Amino acid sequence: MTAVKYSARNQFALWFGCYALLILACMWTLIASGDASWGRSPWQNLLKTMNEFSSPSFIDVWFGPTRLEYRSDDGALLRVENRQVLEVAFLQALARATWTTFQIATLGTFLASILALPLGLLAARNLPAPRLVAFLARTILNICRSIHTLIFGLILVGIVGLGSMAGILAIALHCTGTFGKLYAESIETLDMGAIHAVRATGATPAQVFFSAVLPAVMPQFVSSHLYIWEFNIRDSTILGLIGAGGLGLLISEAVSLFQWDRLATILIWVVILVTTFDTLSRRIRQALL
Amino acid sequence: MSIEISQVTVLSGARCLLTVDQLSIGAGQRVAVIGPNGAGKSTLLKVLTGMMPTHSGTVRILDSTFGANAPQKLSAAQWRHLRARVGQVMQGLHLVGRLSAQDNIILGALARRDVMSRWRSWSRIYPTPLRTQADVLLRQFGLSPQRDSRADQLSGGERQKIALARLAMQAPQIILADEPMSALDPTATQLACQFLNQLAQSATMLNVLHDVSLIPLVADRVLGLSQGRIILDCATDALTPEDLQRLYGSDAPERQTI
Repeated sequence: MTAVKYSARNQFALWFGCYALLILACMWTLIASGDASWGRSPWQNLLKTMNEFSSPSFIDVWFGPTRLEYRSDDGALLRVENRQVLEVAFLQALARATWTTFQIATLGTFLASILALPLGLLAARNLPAPRLVAFLARTILNICRSIHTLIFGLILVGIVGLGSMAGILAIALHCTGTFGKLYAESIETLDMGAIHAVRATGATPAQVFFSAVLPAVMPQFVSSHLYIWEFNIRDSTILGLIGAGGLGLLISEAVSLFQWDRLATILIWVVILVTTFDTLSRRIRQALL
Repeated sequence: MSIEISQVTVLSGARCLLTVDQLSIGAGQRVAVIGPNGAGKSTLLKVLTGMMPTHSGTVRILDSTFGANAPQKLSAAQWRHLRARVGQVMQGLHLVGRLSAQDNIILGALARRDVMSRWRSWSRIYPTPLRTQADVLLRQFGLSPQRDSRADQLSGGERQKIALARLAMQAPQIILADEPMSALDPTATQLACQFLNQLAQSATMLNVLHDVSLIPLVADRVLGLSQGRIILDCATDALTPEDLQRLYGSDAPERQTI
């Protein structure tokens, strides 16, 4: 008994040693390439950034100047802005972008969940799909899963053009892989005994499906749907960066115009949005299982 | 005859699991199948349900003939028609874990077109008479409080009772039960035996039993299996301690007189 423990501990020490070596190798190459630097004046930059982020733009809705005058160097009035009105308009744009993001995530997830259904069924190891077909299905799922949503997005923007559609398709393609794998796994953990028992009563295949298969897999399917949906809400906030619409578009706008106060507003909103959806989906999933 | 087996062999690799030259069981008989572990009792039941393919011979149940040497294969619909009339209680019970106790009982009636229409069985919106019938069965087993509990939250004994209730719901002509009393306490065992006998009034019944003291309660005929062969076939009244000793070897269980 002690011999077994000892060797298991040795094995762990060996793995741990390998991991430590790997960390050291990464650090060494980072230092050797001269990238291990904090920049020229990190503290100053940090303070500057924090200062810019500390006054998110939405405050201006209530406290912003109603008459902000822009003047040229010789004092001539160039233009007058009502900051309050402008920020209200920005918040309206934010609301529209939020809906676009939500729509991309929701439709993308829905499309993926349907595309993955046949592939998941074919890939499940306990169902009698021909070996070659099962192998193909698993390969397709792996390819989908290994290509990131953003990369699919970049490709699709080139095909279907800028806008929500590219985002929806990108999410659908990437998540088909994730869905298919989760589907196949929940089918593989089915209680075949219960299925045989229902079949033994003389039930038709449809009855077996609705009475024994569906009740067993449905909660898992719904749970994985919610999980991936939640994941996609997070993912689709950056899809706009590559031109697929939604909150990411506002982010890239704010970044390229150096409007850090607006970026702060957007980020606070994204955190609220994602946290809310996380909590909701976790609650529902816990109630299901 | 409701069950007839002739020249059946079942092989697993080179090992012979079951060899039966001839076995007939008449309609309405109550048969106990006994024997040591690995004797082929469960295999015999699985052959009768068609779950275990045979390597030779024919099996005739009610009006259906199947098996390796059967003149023609049964179609899927014929299998379903046969299964609907053969009620099984399998080892491991196998309820649908996510459905309620009541729903699991009603599953027994899936193939009974007279009481359950197709869309109702698909949507699991079961007709009221079936629900009432299931409630009566639940009350009979003292499980009324567990009516809406999910089957995977029931205890082993409760699951066994639900499996028996599901069997009753099926109203089968043949009952094949693999150790139907294995998880039950003495009181529940008595109850289950009465219940099975009640069902057997309109059916032929085969019970695989490990507890030989239950034989007189649920059987008029005893089949003893050893190493895949039927070495004992007698009326329950004619069963002697020597028979059991021959079947189980030296440390045979005592047969209690009741």
